[in-house]
Amino acid sequence: MLFSFFASEVTGDGCSDDSYYYVVRLNKPALPILYTRKTLTRGKNVNKEEAFGRKPLTVLEKIRENLERLNDKMEVMIELQKTGRKDITQPLADTPLDVMTLLSMPDHLRKTAMTICRCGRATAEEISEQTSRARAVESAYLNQLVIMGYLKKERKGRKAYFYADRETQG
Amino acid sequence: MGKIIAVHSYKGGTGKTLMSVNLATTFAKQGKKVVLFDLDFRAPSLFSILNMPKAECWLNDYLNGTCDINQVLVDMSDKIPGNGKFLVGLASPATEAIRDMSAKDRKWEMRALGRLLSLRNSILNEKGFDYIIFDTSPGLQYSSINAIVTADFVIVATTGDRSDVDGTRRMLRELYNLFEKKTGLVINKVLDGSSLSKRQEMTKKVREIYQVPLLGLVPCFCDILRAEGGLIFCTDKPDHPFTKILGEMTQKIERNEVS
Repeated sequence: MLFSFFASEVTGDGCSDDSYYYVVRLNKPALPILYTRKTLTRGKNVNKEEAFGRKPLTVLEKIRENLERLNDKMEVMIELQKTGRKDITQPLADTPLDVMTLLSMPDHLRKTAMTICRCGRATAEEISEQTSRARAVESAYLNQLVIMGYLKKERKGRKAYFYADRETQG
Repeated sequence: MGKIIAVHSYKGGTGKTLMSVNLATTFAKQGKKVVLFDLDFRAPSLFSILNMPKAECWLNDYLNGTCDINQVLVDMSDKIPGNGKFLVGLASPATEAIRDMSAKDRKWEMRALGRLLSLRNSILNEKGFDYIIFDTSPGLQYSSINAIVTADFVIVATTGDRSDVDGTRRMLRELYNLFEKKTGLVINKVLDGSSLSKRQEMTKKVREIYQVPLLGLVPCFCDILRAEGGLIFCTDKPDHPFTKILGEMTQKIERNEVS
């Protein structure tokens, strides 16, 4: 569902899910191609005269943001496939990230959750610097904690910030 | 950059508070800037041990979010020789406050953890303090685990009591290992603890049983019992062997010899 929505939004054609996966994993080099396809096939959305002005840059930025969001979601899904959804035991509501919850978490998620507790508010990149694990891995774990309701996620431009919302919970 | 140290134990009566107070005052005597917090909300004792005036606010109030940390801290530097700083944050000894703290829910505990974590910034980074020391409740209390999660280094006080040994071993394995905390063990009330052979034997035993580094061995001193909690050994009895042991412990912590 997610893939098909994204597909119509970005490429506007009927490729298989596998090809989107390929495009998304290599999103940065693939961007100009996507844009060209969109320009040619969806002339209504992007004016050809504007193609060399500011608007294309905005569109490209938007596409990049969408691709990054999709990437985040795919990393979560890949992680969930690996772990067989065993980690998700809580409903998708705001759940307090207290010490007893930290204790009950699987080791890999606990490490990420504890680091975000210490940092307060951080990107996947910043967390990965602390845990010495890959950014993509931390991104997957952070998104998983968001789905589980322990963390909140907020985008500022191209950066996604994660935090435990201690003040509003409860 | 400053360090947060939590002093914890599995059982009560292992000497956590004695150790916390003397550790803090030893650091202050060495010229360090130290804040000591009473996180034992079930049985607060720093208030009477340090014979302190009433604080403007309690640590309970700070964790409840009703006051600033500066209103909690009481400056006791004049009790310590030298140029160090020694500030104390007290837990309220009122029965109502103890009852209130034991009835807090998970969401409150989560916010309390956030407030403890923010002390690193407000006290260590902004005020330039060298150490924050948490004197905690024994066992797996919420406030103690919050302190352990917040700390950079945890001192576990234990005795030779069999139930204490078993409980401490389990706690190290099932709590400390999960949080990947730097830990140092202090065995208190050791019989014949002054003899070299006994110390060597105990060091070997600690490695085998607990699998964590030994920070110190404290022999069973009758002087400590006789003082009835009315003395701060590091300032009142600077030549006492207990003061020397505390001095060695602070050196090990300073040099980061315990991992």
